[in-house]
Amino acid sequence: MAVTLIPTGMLREYTGGQDRLELAAGPTVAEMLEEVDIPPAVVAGVVRDGELVPKDYRPRDGETIRVLVIMGGG
Amino acid sequence: MDGYAGRMLRVNLSDGDITTEPTPEEVIHDFLGARGLGAYLLWTEVPQGADPLGPDNKLFISTGPLSGTLFPGAGKMDFTTKSPLTGGYAGASVGGMLTAEIKYAGYDSIILEGTSPKPVYLYIDDNAAELRDAEAYWGMGSFALEKRLKDELGEEFQIATVGPAGENLVKYACISHDFGRQAGRGGVGTVMGAKKLKAIAVRGSGGIPIADTAEFARIAKEAYRACKEAELLDVWTRYGTMMVTSWCDENGALPTRNFQSGSFEQGSSIYAPTFREKIVVTDKGCFGCPCPCGKYSYSKKHDVYVEGPEYETNGMMGSDLGVGDIEDIAKANQLCDELGLDTISAGGAIAWAMECYEKGILDRDQTDGLDLRFGNAEATFALIERIARREGWLGNLLAEGVKHAAAEVGQGSEKWAIHVKGMEQSAYDTHDATSMLLAYMTADVGAHHNRAWAITYDISVGRDLVTPEKAAKVIELQHIRPLMDALGCCRLQWVELGMSLDYYAPAMTALTGVEYSWENLLHISERVWNLTRMIWVREVEGFGREWDAPPSRFVEEPAIGGTTDGKFTPPEAAQRMLDYYYEQRGWDDDGIPRPETLERLGLAELVEV
Amino acid sequence: MRLYADNAKCSGCRACLVACSLHLFGENNPKKAALAIVPHFPAPGTFEVNVCTQCGECATVCPVDAIHQNEKRAYYVDPGECTLCMACVDECPEGVIFTRPDLDYVWECDACGDCVDVCGPSALWITEREEV
Repeated sequence: MAVTLIPTGMLREYTGGQDRLELAAGPTVAEMLEEVDIPPAVVAGVVRDGELVPKDYRPRDGETIRVLVIMGGG
Repeated sequence: MDGYAGRMLRVNLSDGDITTEPTPEEVIHDFLGARGLGAYLLWTEVPQGADPLGPDNKLFISTGPLSGTLFPGAGKMDFTTKSPLTGGYAGASVGGMLTAEIKYAGYDSIILEGTSPKPVYLYIDDNAAELRDAEAYWGMGSFALEKRLKDELGEEFQIATVGPAGENLVKYACISHDFGRQAGRGGVGTVMGAKKLKAIAVRGSGGIPIADTAEFARIAKEAYRACKEAELLDVWTRYGTMMVTSWCDENGALPTRNFQSGSFEQGSSIYAPTFREKIVVTDKGCFGCPCPCGKYSYSKKHDVYVEGPEYETNGMMGSDLGVGDIEDIAKANQLCDELGLDTISAGGAIAWAMECYEKGILDRDQTDGLDLRFGNAEATFALIERIARREGWLGNLLAEGVKHAAAEVGQGSEKWAIHVKGMEQSAYDTHDATSMLLAYMTADVGAHHNRAWAITYDISVGRDLVTPEKAAKVIELQHIRPLMDALGCCRLQWVELGMSLDYYAPAMTALTGVEYSWENLLHISERVWNLTRMIWVREVEGFGREWDAPPSRFVEEPAIGGTTDGKFTPPEAAQRMLDYYYEQRGWDDDGIPRPETLERLGLAELVEV
Repeated sequence: MRLYADNAKCSGCRACLVACSLHLFGENNPKKAALAIVPHFPAPGTFEVNVCTQCGECATVCPVDAIHQNEKRAYYVDPGECTLCMACVDECPEGVIFTRPDLDYVWECDACGDCVDVCGPSALWITEREEV
């Protein structure tokens, strides 16, 4: 089992078009973003199960984490 | 005219005369509606030099072609007037249900002129329109009055009100509607209050004529489907604009203690998840919107209902005042809403006063005993009331806006009056974000973000870069976002869900029977942009580059702490951004539209330069 | 088939009402729709959605037997037979069967599903009616 990371929108440009990445559980989301070269500054938030979680959240095995691209604001 | 109601209601408050006239087709052709129609009417009907609070100023209340139709976000409308806060152009937008109801009653615009001798409200029920005595309602807050009028007239009536702040001519009074929505900025509520118009109550039972109904419905349903399938729909619906609080805090954009910093040490206690968990009751949306941003909330701590806070109020009544309790922010929001104050301007004014107090420039005598330190939520509540009622020296001073207050008090306090053109800046700290700074410098109402939200662009290409491309980005956004304000619809379906811009021109073509392209629409938007610029040129003696000046804090003082610690934008950099901007806009070095630009946009004859 | 609604998800946007009027009349007029949104503000701050439950009370009470069921077992009013006596409008427990001054007869929900298509929060859905 692993953690599934789903980059949304233009974040996929950072992951070579991949919209689904499997990573080993253990690191925080912030560390996982570094691992896959997604700059934190363009991440609006991180979602688990429809709810925002902080970037220092440590995903468990089998969890799916959606990484939201920052959109256009208010 | 398919897509439009086809007539305007003209209300003379001085003599009580109400007439209808056809909506001028050529004006619609050139200016679309809502914000565009408002700008045209302001230019042609309000004489140069009119006193914003006097009988010669008018308040134009306009719907757009998409308003009230089956289209995602078809629920917006425009209030345009000469601003009592800035002395220039004011155009404020509001959602809710009002725009649709006005259109169903059969009006593209309601023109308010003159001044009523006594408090009145405007009653519209399809073809019936009359001014009714509002003496009994004078002094009432927005929720209280909306409920009362719905009880008296019928739930179907849509209500817009001014609160005590508008009655007392606070310079940033707002117009409230639908239990939590406002036309907030620039003092549109002040003008309505000055005219002694306490409320507008509308019911409409008509439909909207559509040129090609089947095609329009087909396009609309496709657009709704796209919204329903949007990746971010669930998260956006859950949190609304509050979602952006954490990102702003992390990226030095969350205004903290009067924009001294872009990061707030208590930030995490006002992020979206805490907000949702603690107080949110219902996702509340505007007419036709598939992605309701409104978060109707209940605070147990203060026993109040409020629609909000949304991000702007979270910033301006929260971090900008050093307040880190979401329920205290909700209470401040509710007070502003009930009293009828723009939360952004009120927050900016209070933050200025807090900084003055902490620096010893205002003492406890002048604050009428309030311990006006950053973080003192109780003091904030008290001061909001005093501003709305113009009570006490400070309340009355802050009611004039931060630019005027700082000019009065002096002692260097102008340096921390965070405004452009006299309008208090909204909730994005711009020490280190040159496009966003330019956006605030050049927005046509003053320091407001809704014309161009460029801060993510700054972060993706380099925050402190000063390039023609950045100016081009701001200009692009200033054409697209206010276009929605002229169409009478919301921009957030595109901005937040990524709904394609490709729907708008085909929808307009099917709706009106007139062939529209996206380029046409942008061209009209650029025309409106230049017209609102010319309104400033006409109304403000010596209007020019200085009026686009950034707040000095961002070009002189380093941010304190957080991501942008130590950063600010050198003043020459801000001016160079302005140079690139003026050049690309076809304006001269002083920011005045050149004759050939006005010619190209078909404005030369209208503005007679 | 009948329409169902989850009040808790309704945001009060009224897109459903516009879709309904376009379906029934080809008109963009939410005041002519076979479902209703009832807002409860300022307190408790929620929306209620009244939909046709296909209960059949309208058909039962109609004195001229003008209301029948179609192939989806949704009730409909036969325009040729309706006398606009309003008995069904008075009887409807949801208050959704309706007429307007410019209409010649009474109209009700035919479970077309257009409202479902434009409901962003997915507060509406259509499925086979639960048998009582």
